[in-house]
Amino acid sequence: MSALIEKLMPQAAAEDDGSFGSLRRKAQKVLMQHGFPHRKTENWKYMPLGLLEKRTFSDAGPGESETPSPPSFPFDAGVIHFHNGRLDPEACRLPDGVALTGMLPADIDVSVLDDAGPADAFAWLNLARFEQGWKLLVEGRPDQPLVIATTCDDDFDVAVHPRLTVALADDAALTLVEAQSGQGAGLINSVLDLRLGRQSSLTHVVERRFVETALIQRTTARISESATYRAFVLDGGGRLTRQDLVAELASPGATAGISGVATLSGRALVDYHTAIEHRVGGTQSHENFRILADDQSVGVFNGRIHIVRGADDSHSQMNTGNLLLSENARINTKPELEIHAEDVTASHGATIGQLDDDARFYLRSRGLSDTQAIALLKYGFAAAVFDTMAPGAVRDWLTDRLKEYL
Amino acid sequence: MLNIKNLHVAVGGEEIIKGLDLEVGPGELHAIMGPNGSGKSTLGYALAGRDGYEVTDGSVDFAGQDLLELEVEQRAAAGLFLALQYPVEIPGVNNAYFLRAALNAQRKARGEEEVDSMAFLKMVREQLKQLKMDEALLKRAVNEGFSGGEKKRNEIVQLAVLQPKLAILDETDSGLDIDALKLVAEGVNRLRDENRSFIVITHYQRLLEYLVPDRVHVLSDGRIAESGDRSLAKRLEREGYAFLDTAEA
Repeated sequence: MSALIEKLMPQAAAEDDGSFGSLRRKAQKVLMQHGFPHRKTENWKYMPLGLLEKRTFSDAGPGESETPSPPSFPFDAGVIHFHNGRLDPEACRLPDGVALTGMLPADIDVSVLDDAGPADAFAWLNLARFEQGWKLLVEGRPDQPLVIATTCDDDFDVAVHPRLTVALADDAALTLVEAQSGQGAGLINSVLDLRLGRQSSLTHVVERRFVETALIQRTTARISESATYRAFVLDGGGRLTRQDLVAELASPGATAGISGVATLSGRALVDYHTAIEHRVGGTQSHENFRILADDQSVGVFNGRIHIVRGADDSHSQMNTGNLLLSENARINTKPELEIHAEDVTASHGATIGQLDDDARFYLRSRGLSDTQAIALLKYGFAAAVFDTMAPGAVRDWLTDRLKEYL
Repeated sequence: MLNIKNLHVAVGGEEIIKGLDLEVGPGELHAIMGPNGSGKSTLGYALAGRDGYEVTDGSVDFAGQDLLELEVEQRAAAGLFLALQYPVEIPGVNNAYFLRAALNAQRKARGEEEVDSMAFLKMVREQLKQLKMDEALLKRAVNEGFSGGEKKRNEIVQLAVLQPKLAILDETDSGLDIDALKLVAEGVNRLRDENRSFIVITHYQRLLEYLVPDRVHVLSDGRIAESGDRSLAKRLEREGYAFLDTAEA
C-alpha cells in the first residue's frame, strides 16, 4: 500500500500549522510506520483499496468554487453543510441550544494513535491531514433536528479529511441527521466523535448515497451514565463506502442501539464494521442490520460486541439479515461476540436468503404485479429495521428515501 | 363462468392432473373432494397461474377469457381468487397497506378508479367485524404471528374486499375449530350471489354442512372420478374413498 501513501500523503511531512502540529506529526509518523490496511488486514479484507490506488487525487485541495445551498429536507431543522469536505461556518443554521466552535487539541482523542496496526490508518491520516476541525456543543433539548449535510461537486477529485465532534451536555437530547451524497471520484475520509453526557440522548440518523465518491468514515460514540445512543443508518450504496461505527458504553445505565439498512445495486461496495464496547456492567445494546444486494454489488457487515471482564449484568442483542437479489451479488456478514464477563445475556443471529417465491406468488395472486411484489417484499424486509425509531417527520423522510432506493 | 376441458398439469415433470373437465356456472358453489395426492391443490395453483405448475394440455375459459394466457396478477384482476391452504407470512408489510395496494392494483388493471384510504378502511373494518377479527390486525404485518384460524379468516377478509368472480378455497376449513369454521362459512355465504362462483376444496363433509354445494366432485388420480349433488359428500363421509377403487376396477 505504499502507492496509497504516495497518493494520499503527497507532502513529505505534515504542515506545521500551530496548535495541532505535534499531533499531526505523531499521526503521520505512525501512519508511515504501519502503512495502510491491505487484504491481509482482517478488518479490511473485503475493502478493495486498490480502487483508491488507481485514482488520481488532485493536489490542488478542495476548489474555491462557491458553495451551493445545502440540500433541503421535508422537516424543520438546523443545518451545517460540508461541501467538498469544507464547512462554511457562516452558512450554518443552528437550532437553539447548539453552538459551533473550532476544535482544540484537547478535543481530540489521541488513543487512536496508541493502537499499533494498520486498521486505524485512515483515522491517523485524518489526524495528520484534517483541514478544519469543528465542535458542536449541545445543551438542553433543541426542538429541531440538526442536519449535517455532506455534498461535493460532480468533478470533486481530491482527498479531504473532515473532522467533527458533537458533544451533548448532561441531560441534553438531540436528533442528529447526517445526510451524505457525492458524485465525483474523490475521497472523503471523515472522523466524527460523538460524546454523550450523563442522561443525555442522541438519535443519530445517517442517510447516505454515493456514486463514485469514496467515503471512509469513523464514528465513535462515547456514552456516559444513563445516556442513550440510537443510530439509524440507511445506505443507498456507493462505489467504495467504509463505515466504522464504535459505541462505547462507558458507564452504568448506558444504552446503545444500532439499526441499519444498506440497499445496494450496480457495482456498489459498502462495508460496515460496527463495534459495541460494554466497558462496564449494567449496560445494554441492541443491533439490527440488513443488507439487500442486487446486481454485482458487495455488502459487508461485521458486528462486534465486546463485553469486558467485570462488565456483569450487561445485555446485548444482535441480528443481521441479508437478502441476495442477484446471482452476482455478494454479502459477507459476521456477528462477532467477545465476552469476558459473567452473568450477561448476549444473543446473535445471522441469515442470508433470497426473496421468498411463496410470498411473491401470494402477493401476485392478490393482484400486485411482479415488480410491485418484489418492491413490497424488499421494503418489508428492510423497513422493519426502522420500527424502533420514534414516529415523526424524520422517520417518514427516512422511509421515503428507503422506498426510493428500492 | 369457468370451463375446464381436458386439463393436464405437470409439476416438476410429473403429471398430476391428467385430463380434468369441470364446468362451474355463475353463482354456483362446487365442492372438490378427494384423497391426499389426488391433485386438488395442484388444480388451485394451476388455475391461479403459479410458476412450476405447467399446463401441458387442455383449455380453461374464464368468463370468456383464455385463463391460461394470463399472468398471475392478470388472473386476479380478471376476478379469480385463490384462498391458500397455508397463507404466507409477509414480515414488515402492513396488512391494510397490502390489501389496499392489491385492491387498487386490480382496479387499475380493470380501468376502474382507485379506492381512497377512508373508503377502504370502512370496507375492511366491516369485514373484520363480521369475521370477529381484531382491528389491530390491520396494522400488523400480513399473517405474521397470526394463529392458524386468524390466517384463514384473513383470507376471507381479502376475499370480501377483493370481490372476485370466482373464489377457490383450498382447504380453508383445515385447522379451524367449529366456531371459526362457522365464521368462515358465514363469511363465504354472505358473498354468495347469482354471479359469484366458488370452488371449495376440502377433505371433510363438515364444511359442506354450512356451505351448501350445488355440485360435489371427487378427484382421484388427477381426474374427476365421480360427480353428484351434496349427498355424494355424505356418502364419502360414511364410506371413505374406497368405492373409487371399486368403481375403477
